[in-house]
Amino acid sequence: MMTRNELLAALPGLTDAALDALTRAGIVRPVQSEAGPRFRPIDVARLTLAMELEDAYDLDADALALVLSLIDQVHGLRGEMRAMLSAVAAEPPETRARMREIITMTRLTLRG
Amino acid sequence: MANDPYAALGVAKTASEAEIKKAYRRIAKADHPDLNDDPAAHERFKAASAAYDLLKDPDQRARFDRGEIDAQGQERPQRRYYRDFSEGPGNPYRPEANYGDFSDVFADLFGEGGARRTRAGGFGGFGGTGGGARSFDVRGQDHRYTLEVDFLTAARGGTTRITLPDGHSLDVQIPAGTRDGQTIRLRGKGGPGMGEGGPGDALLAITVADDPDWRRDGDDITTVLPITLDEAVLGAKVEAQTLDGPVKLTVPRGASSGQKLRLRGRGLTGPGGVRGDQHVELRIVLPPRIDDELAAFLERWRENHAYDPRGTRRGGKP
Repeated sequence: MMTRNELLAALPGLTDAALDALTRAGIVRPVQSEAGPRFRPIDVARLTLAMELEDAYDLDADALALVLSLIDQVHGLRGEMRAMLSAVAAEPPETRARMREIITMTRLTLRG
Repeated sequence: MANDPYAALGVAKTASEAEIKKAYRRIAKADHPDLNDDPAAHERFKAASAAYDLLKDPDQRARFDRGEIDAQGQERPQRRYYRDFSEGPGNPYRPEANYGDFSDVFADLFGEGGARRTRAGGFGGFGGTGGGARSFDVRGQDHRYTLEVDFLTAARGGTTRITLPDGHSLDVQIPAGTRDGQTIRLRGKGGPGMGEGGPGDALLAITVADDPDWRRDGDDITTVLPITLDEAVLGAKVEAQTLDGPVKLTVPRGASSGQKLRLRGRGLTGPGGVRGDQHVELRIVLPPRIDDELAAFLERWRENHAYDPRGTRRGGKP
């Protein structure tokens, strides 16, 4: 994990003030330790993405928080979906056929 | 800062080629190791030379400015994108996924970790509790934080201070025997509610930092106690650290390195309130210098008392 100074050195585009603002908005929540905040690799990647989104779309803190939250949800769902599909892939074809039926039914109901 | 060649030369990122050259020359004159004895000057010169090597070449400089190479001129390591982290389980930023009637199925397949995640701040909490008939009363969001505490604070209990995103500090009680992965809930310290809805909670996920001096195995802990050669041979009463402070420990006559003494009930507080044990591992430390007297004595001693600790299966005493 990185200290605040190591983080600022690793992300040249990130200023002191910008990091404070992103922390205040809850967009990054570093690990709290006795020696001050510590940044995990996920925090570094998240900050990089946040800066790029800010730059590209002129987002304010609220909008950025919303976008990141949606990204978290989509990424999380995608991870779970992939795990689910790999479980299905390991099943025999008959299981898959039964699942296909249920999926078709469920989706028809949803469309109604 | 070794990672910023501009800082090493003391120039702005917008400095012209001439300015960079001038800055380098100034440092080279003042701090050249052949002209200046000061080790700090040597470091400054080294940093400035490396920086100048990089920046004097416009192509290299442009690549550095674009972030393609680092200050050492190396290609930057392959970037890790956010999804490399956020698709996996345990993304601390991800709001709880709510699968409604299928929550049980989800928990069954994806394990406790999938279901245990509570509303993780952000925008996951719209389906909050406490709505009832007056649907405008919504309980505030829970805010999640990760808190790292050192081993002794977690084991003994104590207070640690955290800073909330809004800048407020909060003293958090860490109960004795807190484990890695445990969550502490601070009621009402989360986001504000709407209408009559109360505020959410702050949820602190605790990570306990490793401590080289205190190894943990379940509720038991192991510490290492260095002893002198004479204490090992003759036995002694020496002081050892426990979670409850120092205690006097009897080292038996003829103790070996690796031998463990058990202090019953000095370990971590288990779930039922029962404490584990502390194991004190003895480690014989020889004097910093082997004097002639000791060497002469052992040479004499060896003639009549030689033994082979490797001859017995467990390397114990003969």
